[in-house]
Amino acid sequence: MGAIGGDVGDGDFIDVGLFGEVMNGAEAHAAGAQNEYAHEARMVTLFSPQMDPDQPAEVPSDDAPAPAEPTEEVPVGEPPAAEPPVEEPPLAEEIEEVVDEHASQRLIVIKHHALVRLSHWLNVPILFALIVSGLSIYWASPVFLHKPDPVTHSRDYLADAGIGIARHVPNAEVNPSWFYNHFGLGVYNLAGALRWHWLFIYFFLANGILYIAGLLIGRGYRALLPRRSMLGESLAMVRYYAGVIPMTIARRPWPHPEITTKYNALQRGAYASMPIAGALALASGWAMHKPVQFWWLERMFGSYDGARIVHFIVMIYFILFLIPHVVLVLVDGWDTMRSMIVGWSNRAGGGE
Amino acid sequence: MSDETPQVFVDEKKLRKQSRRDFILFGAGTFAALAGIWWISPLSSKKRIFGEHATDFLDTAAARFGLTKERSERFQNTALTFDDDVAEALYSPTRSVRTYKRSDLTPLRNNYNGRTPSPDYIADWTLTLTGLASGTDVVLRLPDLAQQPQHAQITRLCCVEGWSAIAGWSGIRFADLLRVYPPAADAKWAAIESAVNLDGRGNPDPYYVSIDLPTAQHPQTLLASHLNGSPLGTDHGAPLRLVAPMKLGLKNIKAITKIAYVIEQPHDYWADRGYSKYDGL
Repeated sequence: MGAIGGDVGDGDFIDVGLFGEVMNGAEAHAAGAQNEYAHEARMVTLFSPQMDPDQPAEVPSDDAPAPAEPTEEVPVGEPPAAEPPVEEPPLAEEIEEVVDEHASQRLIVIKHHALVRLSHWLNVPILFALIVSGLSIYWASPVFLHKPDPVTHSRDYLADAGIGIARHVPNAEVNPSWFYNHFGLGVYNLAGALRWHWLFIYFFLANGILYIAGLLIGRGYRALLPRRSMLGESLAMVRYYAGVIPMTIARRPWPHPEITTKYNALQRGAYASMPIAGALALASGWAMHKPVQFWWLERMFGSYDGARIVHFIVMIYFILFLIPHVVLVLVDGWDTMRSMIVGWSNRAGGGE
Repeated sequence: MSDETPQVFVDEKKLRKQSRRDFILFGAGTFAALAGIWWISPLSSKKRIFGEHATDFLDTAAARFGLTKERSERFQNTALTFDDDVAEALYSPTRSVRTYKRSDLTPLRNNYNGRTPSPDYIADWTLTLTGLASGTDVVLRLPDLAQQPQHAQITRLCCVEGWSAIAGWSGIRFADLLRVYPPAADAKWAAIESAVNLDGRGNPDPYYVSIDLPTAQHPQTLLASHLNGSPLGTDHGAPLRLVAPMKLGLKNIKAITKIAYVIEQPHDYWADRGYSKYDGL
C-alpha cells in the first residue's frame, strides 16, 4: 500500500483535467493541498484502474523508502521535509524557503491521453508487420509496372529501387528479389504474408479505435482541428525548416516561429491526416479483401484496382510521415519523446 | 497557452511514481513485442540475421519461459485462421456478385501453376459424380451437360496474387447439376478434382478444391464451358471449369474431371501449401 496507495486522490495526472472537471477524488486532493496554484491551474485526476488505492502498489519505489503514510486525506503539499526534492539536493533548503509548502509541486503540461500513448506505440509493431507482409503480397502482383528492363528483366519499380540500393551494399546480390527479401517477408512467401497481413488488420483496426477513443476522451482532437491561421503558419514553418540547417551552419540566429498552440500548422496537418490515412488503408484493404461482401467499398474506390492503388499510396504516405516524424522527435529532444510515454511535458509556459 | 495543453501543478513524488510506472510498462511492452517477434519468426530467418550460436542461445532462453516452437506453431495455426472465420461469418449466400458490361472485359491470363495440359484429354473427357443420393456414381459427357439450361455472366475473377480480370462465362448452373443429380442427404461439401493438371515439368499433378454446398448452390456459381462466347481452350480449363466469382481464382478449378459430395471438408491444393482454405471474397 504505502508507496502509492498512501497518497490522496490517486490516479493519473495526465490527460486529466481535459474534461475540465474533477473525476476521482481530485476535489479532495486539490482542497487538501490548500494550494494557491490549484485555483489557477486545475488539479485534477483521472480514474486509473492501475492505481486503485485499495490495491497494493504495483510499482516498487526504489528511491526514498516510502514511509507508511496514513491512507486518507493527507494534504499533499505538506510533507516536503520528509521528501526532499531529488533533483536539486543542494538547493533543497532554499527552495523550501522560497516556495514553502509547494516544494513538492511541479508545473507540467498535460499532453497525451493514456490511450493515445498506448495506441501510438502499438502502431510500431502493427505497422511494421503490415508493411513487411504487405510488401511480400505486393511482390506477387506489383501495381506499378514499366516495360521489362533489358538487363535485370524487372518490370517493377520497387524491385528497381531494391536493385539501386543493393548496388551500394557490400556483398549484396543485386537482383529484383533484393528489395522484398530485405524489406518484406521475402519472395515466394505469398501464403504466409497474406495470413500475417490478415491477422494484423484486426489489430490495426482495434488500435485505430483505441486511438480515436483516446483523442475523444482526452479531448486531444481539439489540437488537430484545422483553423484559420493554418496557411500563414504553414508557410512560416516551411521557411523555418528550409533555413534551419544552413543558418545553423552559418551560426546565424534563426528563431522558431512563435507557436501558441499544441502543434504548429504542419504538425497539425500531418497528425490530423494519420487517422484519415488509417481509415483509407482499412477501407481500401477491405475493398480488395472482400469485394463481394463489401461491394460498396469497392465501388467507392472506382474499381478493384483503384483500391489497390489507394492502398499502396497510403503505405507510402505512412512511410513518408514516419521519416520526418522520427527525425524531428529526436531533434526536438527527450522531453517530447518522453511525453509520448508518460503523457506530460516539462515545457510549461510556451509552445514547443 | 491554450486549453489544448492544460498546465497543472502536480505532486512531484506522485509524478515520479506514475512516470516510473509508465516507463516500466513501456519497457515491458517493448520487451514483450521483441520476444513475440522472436517467437513467431522462422528459424531460417533468425539464423541468417543473428547467426547459429546466438539463435540457439535465445531459442533456449525463450523455451525456458514457455515460448516453445510447438506452442508457436499451435498459436499461429489458431491466430492465422481468424480471418477465415470472419470471412465465413460475412458470407451471404443470397448476395450477388457484381456483374459487368461487355465493354468492361479484360484479357484473362492463363495462371496454371504448372504446364498447360495438351488438348489430347478433351476427346475422352468425362465428369464423374460420386456421393449422390442415388448411391450409384454417374459419368457424364459434354452433351449431357448441354441439355441443362445455359447461363451467361460477366464477372471479375480475383486472384490471390492480387491481379484480377473481367471475363464472360457461360455454362450450366452448379445448382442445376445438384438438382438433377442430388447429393447424399448428409453431404456438406463438394470435393472437385482435375486429374489432368500438370506440374512445372509436365508430370501429372492433380488439382483439387473444396466448395461448400451453399456456395455451389449460388445462382452465380457456374460449371462453365465457354469463355467470352467461345468454347474453353486448354489454357482456361477445357472443356468444363468451375466459375465461382464469390471465391478467389484458386477455387475456380479448371478441367474438372470429378465431383465427390462428402461430409467432411475436403483438402484444397493451395491450402495444403499454406494458403487459407475459405477464400471467400
